[in-house]
Amino acid sequence: MVHEKSLYEASSQYRHWRFSPAQLKTTREKLNAGAIQVISAAFETENPGSSSTVQFVTQQEELSLVKLYASKLPQLCFSSFKLPEHVCATAVTYLKRFYLRNSVMDWHPKNVMLTSLFMAAKTNNTPISIDYFLSIIPKTVQSDILELEFPIAQSLDFEFAIWHPHRALWGIYLDVQVLEDVPMDLDRIYSEAVKLIRDSWLTDAEFIYTPSQIALAALHAVSPPLALQWMRSKGGSEQLQAILLQIQKIIKEEGTVPDVEEVRDIDRRLRTCRNPAKVAGSAIYQQKKAEEERIADEKRKLKAAAAKKAFEEADPFGADLRRESSNGSTPPGK
Amino acid sequence: MDTSVKANEEREKKWAKIAKVGEGTYAVVYKAKEITTGRQVAIKKIKIGQFKDGLDMSAIREVTYLRELHHPNVIELLDVFSHKTNLNLVLEFLDADLELLIKDRSNVFLPADIKSWMAMTLRGLEFCHRNWILHRDLKPNNLLIASDGQLKLADFGLARDFSDPGARMTCQIITRWYRPAELLFGCRYYSSAVDIWSVGCIFAELMLRTPYLPGESDMDQVKTIFRAIGTPTEEEWPGHTKLPDYFAAGQFPRQPFRDLFTAASADALNLLAKFFIYDPRKRISAKEALNHPYFFALPYPTHPSKLPKSANQLAPRPLPLEELDGNTNGALSAKAAEPNKLKRKSAEAPDGPDRRVVSRRLDFTAV
Repeated sequence: MVHEKSLYEASSQYRHWRFSPAQLKTTREKLNAGAIQVISAAFETENPGSSSTVQFVTQQEELSLVKLYASKLPQLCFSSFKLPEHVCATAVTYLKRFYLRNSVMDWHPKNVMLTSLFMAAKTNNTPISIDYFLSIIPKTVQSDILELEFPIAQSLDFEFAIWHPHRALWGIYLDVQVLEDVPMDLDRIYSEAVKLIRDSWLTDAEFIYTPSQIALAALHAVSPPLALQWMRSKGGSEQLQAILLQIQKIIKEEGTVPDVEEVRDIDRRLRTCRNPAKVAGSAIYQQKKAEEERIADEKRKLKAAAAKKAFEEADPFGADLRRESSNGSTPPGK
Repeated sequence: MDTSVKANEEREKKWAKIAKVGEGTYAVVYKAKEITTGRQVAIKKIKIGQFKDGLDMSAIREVTYLRELHHPNVIELLDVFSHKTNLNLVLEFLDADLELLIKDRSNVFLPADIKSWMAMTLRGLEFCHRNWILHRDLKPNNLLIASDGQLKLADFGLARDFSDPGARMTCQIITRWYRPAELLFGCRYYSSAVDIWSVGCIFAELMLRTPYLPGESDMDQVKTIFRAIGTPTEEEWPGHTKLPDYFAAGQFPRQPFRDLFTAASADALNLLAKFFIYDPRKRISAKEALNHPYFFALPYPTHPSKLPKSANQLAPRPLPLEELDGNTNGALSAKAAEPNKLKRKSAEAPDGPDRRVVSRRLDFTAV
């Protein structure tokens, strides 16, 4: 038999959403630089000479901002909406993946965070109606959410299925119970490992490591002997141990909520350097909308003219239906 | 900048729509081609602007699962792109379905043909189940046939994953005639066995050339099942009388399968009986079914390319048009009686107060 790939290896997550730390850094730097370039140009169009005074946010600052909004998701999910762990984890992943394709200067993370949650609920079979969603979220209107669905879906390449470490941890939790000397405080170990996994949501761990590696790293951080015993029972390698330590380091160094004051300052600065083409009401935004409308209008006119022509040329009742369906050709009426 | 917008535009440019082949309230289906290769595809355009809650659940499910599933017996989602407020799914072009073949009286099905279709159905389903995905709407109409004879599972608009044991799920799934007794009794915690029951119904239908358990209502469906397979005993199916919507539908003796399926081999009957085991825990799995002696006994399955084809493939339903549920096209008039009005609920939501019911129907009256 041919070696069958593991299910995880066939997933879109494994195929398209794994990166090295260097790749992540380059991607974000490029996004940041690209956004600055476009926005500077837009400022110049609107008001020549104005871009030189703007203090753009840096790639690091973008990341802090996204992280802060990601850190708001658990409370929203668990307390406000009573949604399960995987919906929250999915929303966090959507938010983070979105900013591997976009800059906060183009899309402010607040609504992206909310829409990620709204969509994660749907993709995990626990949809929330928009009215109910908005009744819980203050100062947000329908269009804030619904208009972002497509940009987010596009940025995710319509790949909605996410594999999460907490599921892998649950598997290990069940597994270790058949080992000898199961610790008495297994449930405490488990719930602390869950907390570490939630900390990992704020890091790049999920882009670099597999969900099972992150789960094991969390368990290993709480109870090294238990993790090692489980690894021995599965034939785990030395190499794996090194990986666990790397993951633990990332969680420890990056898995904390950024300082709110600092982020507030970034957010304040962001208001002055947002892409005017994305801010409703700005001259450039109006211009873009008008252009889009003009093109759409032209297309509509063309279509109507073509339809009129077709109508005038052909029998308005179309070809004979019976003949069409019995000779196996496609139905008429195009 | 907007890399994702650009990527989306580039994806869109890869495909050229040729002709509209169906239009309904929620979706339009086009025959299209890949520009670089000329390969025929189907583009299903879902008009999202009409949904109050944004992207609708059927579209989300279909995209979520088909994005992950790549198997010769599962319809391939080649691409997805959005255009203004429309979501476009680029799907493999498939020109017939098993229902068409079954209804085409000019076709004679050999036992080897049925075995081939069953093997392909089970391979596709085993792959879904291995990936922890329930199809939840298996029926001949959703088993599409490619031009090379390969059968493919399609319409994942009701699918969901079941990797969370103990997750409460809706029982309003699977078209009635293919729905197992546990769902009719309101069971909210179920598993891959629900799809297997549907496979049993399809197997029977392939042999009989007519639906095996055509109940007229949900209540009547239970009776129809009991009349055919016998009322289950407590021993056969422990605890079934405690299910939420259980009702006593009457005592019926088991009809031996042999009496109805007169031409079937002993192996075929044995497998059929295993698909129709009442207790979902004892029902055969897709993997076990593929290892059943039926598939190893003579006659061997027909090669897909040698399977019967439908003469009117392109006529009433030229595309893998999942929305055809409940369509009233004259050419498929027999189908109009089928209880296809399965509602696509965005249910299973513990929170949303107003759950939306979306039934996607394509209307072919314009054609």
